Amino acid sequence: MQESSYFSQYSPIKGVWDEMYGENDIRDHYSKVIDYLSRESAEDLSRKEELAKRLFMSQGITFTVYSSGEGIEKIFPFDIIPRIITADEWAFVEKGIKQRLNALNLFLKDVYNNQFIVKDGIVPIDIIYSCPHFLREMYQLQVPYDIYVHIAGIDLIRDHDGTFYVLEDNLRTPSGVSYMLENREITKRLFPDLMPQCSVRSVTEYPTILYKNLLSLSPRQISNPTIVLLSPGIYNSAYFEHTTLARLMGVELVEGRDLVVKNQKVYMKTTIGLQQVDVIYRRVDDEYLDPLVFNPASILGVAGIMGAYRTGNVAIVNAIGNGVADDKAVYAYVPEMIKYYLNEEPILKNVPTYQLSNQDEREHVFENINKMVVKKTNGSGGYGMLMGHASSDEEIEDYKKEILKDPRNFIAQPTISLSAAPCYMQGGLHPRRIDLRPYALCGPDGIEIVPGGLTRVALKEGSLVVNSSQGGGSKDTWVLA
Amino acid sequence: MPEFKIQHLTKYTYPAPVRDSANQIILYPIQDEWQEVIKQEIHISGDPVIDTFIDYYGNKVGSFTYSEPHSALLINSKILVQTKHKQLPGNDIFPAQQWEDLKQLRYMVPYIDFLRLEHFEGFNDLKALVEAEKSKDDTPYQAVLRFSRYVYDNFQYIKGVTSVETTMDEIWKLKAGVCQDFAHILTLMLRLVGIPARYVSGYICTHRSTTMRGEGATHAWAEAYIPDYGWLGIDPTNNCIANEMHVRLAVGRNFLDCSPVKGVYKGASEHRLDVSVAVGYEDDAPSMHQPGEFIDMPEHKPVTTFPKNSYQRYMEMLLQQQQQQQQQ
Repeated sequence: MQESSYFSQYSPIKGVWDEMYGENDIRDHYSKVIDYLSRESAEDLSRKEELAKRLFMSQGITFTVYSSGEGIEKIFPFDIIPRIITADEWAFVEKGIKQRLNALNLFLKDVYNNQFIVKDGIVPIDIIYSCPHFLREMYQLQVPYDIYVHIAGIDLIRDHDGTFYVLEDNLRTPSGVSYMLENREITKRLFPDLMPQCSVRSVTEYPTILYKNLLSLSPRQISNPTIVLLSPGIYNSAYFEHTTLARLMGVELVEGRDLVVKNQKVYMKTTIGLQQVDVIYRRVDDEYLDPLVFNPASILGVAGIMGAYRTGNVAIVNAIGNGVADDKAVYAYVPEMIKYYLNEEPILKNVPTYQLSNQDEREHVFENINKMVVKKTNGSGGYGMLMGHASSDEEIEDYKKEILKDPRNFIAQPTISLSAAPCYMQGGLHPRRIDLRPYALCGPDGIEIVPGGLTRVALKEGSLVVNSSQGGGSKDTWVLA
Repeated sequence: MPEFKIQHLTKYTYPAPVRDSANQIILYPIQDEWQEVIKQEIHISGDPVIDTFIDYYGNKVGSFTYSEPHSALLINSKILVQTKHKQLPGNDIFPAQQWEDLKQLRYMVPYIDFLRLEHFEGFNDLKALVEAEKSKDDTPYQAVLRFSRYVYDNFQYIKGVTSVETTMDEIWKLKAGVCQDFAHILTLMLRLVGIPARYVSGYICTHRSTTMRGEGATHAWAEAYIPDYGWLGIDPTNNCIANEMHVRLAVGRNFLDCSPVKGVYKGASEHRLDVSVAVGYEDDAPSMHQPGEFIDMPEHKPVTTFPKNSYQRYMEMLLQQQQQQQQQ
């Protein structure tokens, strides 16, 4: 293999799984890309990087960071070097996610109906009933095809030996899929000849599959049911994504004020009158969805929509009340759910999780807090977590006080090191930590996962936090055929 | 077996037409061994279709929408209901055994929600108080009576100082409120000592000769779970057992699970709410057809200036502001 300068100058992080570099050599699946890069000068690559930035900016591919009181729109930093996954790795991940999602769907059906898993003492009843996302309004409400999770964005990370772990399940309104699609479009322009050589599998079917699934959920058996994407509006951090998905699927993009409920049916206001809505892909959280039933101050939702949902006149994607399955305290029981419902051994591993409501586990965590990540059970986006190894004593003490106020709201996990992948920065390749969020779509015909996903990168040297809200970036994700 | 004719009128009046109103009513008396609904009619202005379902706590809930512009919403519920006296708990089981039985319920589905505590600033004070109040030899039943008396003696019954939005902290500081606040405090006290307690909404029906707090409007009280007995109704506002004179509409964790009427609409934020509950007896001249006196509810927002010119009305419609309405 030809020794490239980019490769020879690359110094992997000690004790960390490197996606490109293994056993003193380039892993096979990266060799074509490194070969290709070695024929490009640093100026060429910098020019590509510059082009990528301009494309993102001109196409308005942005997200919003909530801080200092105002929303600031930023472009999502993009690294031009793709993250590459082999066919075997993908087959394993795909199988594991399908298994997990099957179990999680069965769990949601169970927990809102017979509660066998609770009665059998597999998942402690207290954890379910103390979860703010366990919605009693969903009790015995029948959802089409018993599917609760239509779209999941399961976060995967790799430990120092390359083992995949599930970090979070994200079963409510997972975002980021538009970046998966846009990253691919940009990469096609940056490396038009490289992609076919490497036989990279396509991700562009995502909107088509999602649309097909939405269509199949329509309660009315008519040829052209009305499907809408319900967005909280322009101030939402993922508004760009809402517009993109609506455009790619050819469905209406609406906000709460565009819809009205009449006699348990949902209608969209149009210039030619009211039009009945059959399927709602909502990107509004449960709490804000129906001011009549949930948060009465919400102006993002539609009053009475829960009644339409209950009577089966409208399908809502994802189902309401999914939060009980991706509560981080409930997450700890997913391997048990897989055994309980499917009678199978879990394929993908869970990160060991300590329940801070349990006194013994809490004491253990407090003693070893330097090796722990402490998270809120219902937080997301990397807000409000404590990285034990990178926090000052004062921060730790403050956080402990916070935990003791309501221990049920916190869990702790040992710090997992996250694998690294090469990123192009300052004219060379440098390892940065990454995760992977594939998007799984569940419809009446089963679960489909487009081969790819969003690879998020912690761009800061030494950082382990990949969340876009915390200064992370992303990469195109190639799954090889 | 007392039989009551109850007429419950709820009327919202808006200064300018509102629309796209979505509402939820929990106005259907519970049907069980001690309460039988002989007849019920619900009339709503505009004649919307009411869709009913049974909620998580077993209550019958109705929901309806009213999209066309309207300046008033009238909900008229007429009920003929028969109640039976429920035998009071006996004292033939050792207190220690009963408290032990209660401990077993902590992680059981039917009770877990009714044992959950909410944290507020005065929580530790309340906890200390409950510990001090409770006598060692009390049965759970005796503890219920004792706590009810405590609430009755130490909280003032004043209309208008609290609303549906008043927090536990505020009630605790005020040491005053109406039936729902009394019921709220009592459920917390009972849960603190491990007695499952739930909130009940309904009507209090007394004979002409006596007057009770909570008449003329919807009433609220609590129910405590007594081992080997079941749910015992306890009305801290009147410091009495809630028995055949209390007609139950709904049970839940708190007021929010039981609100008799609530709604969201688009239009001006001001609205006037009038509620009346009139009770007649089988041996009485029917008061059924005479609308009762309208009682101002605590959260009733007076309409200061009745509208306004056409332009202002138009602007209000344009804004399509979404508003909530809730009846205590």
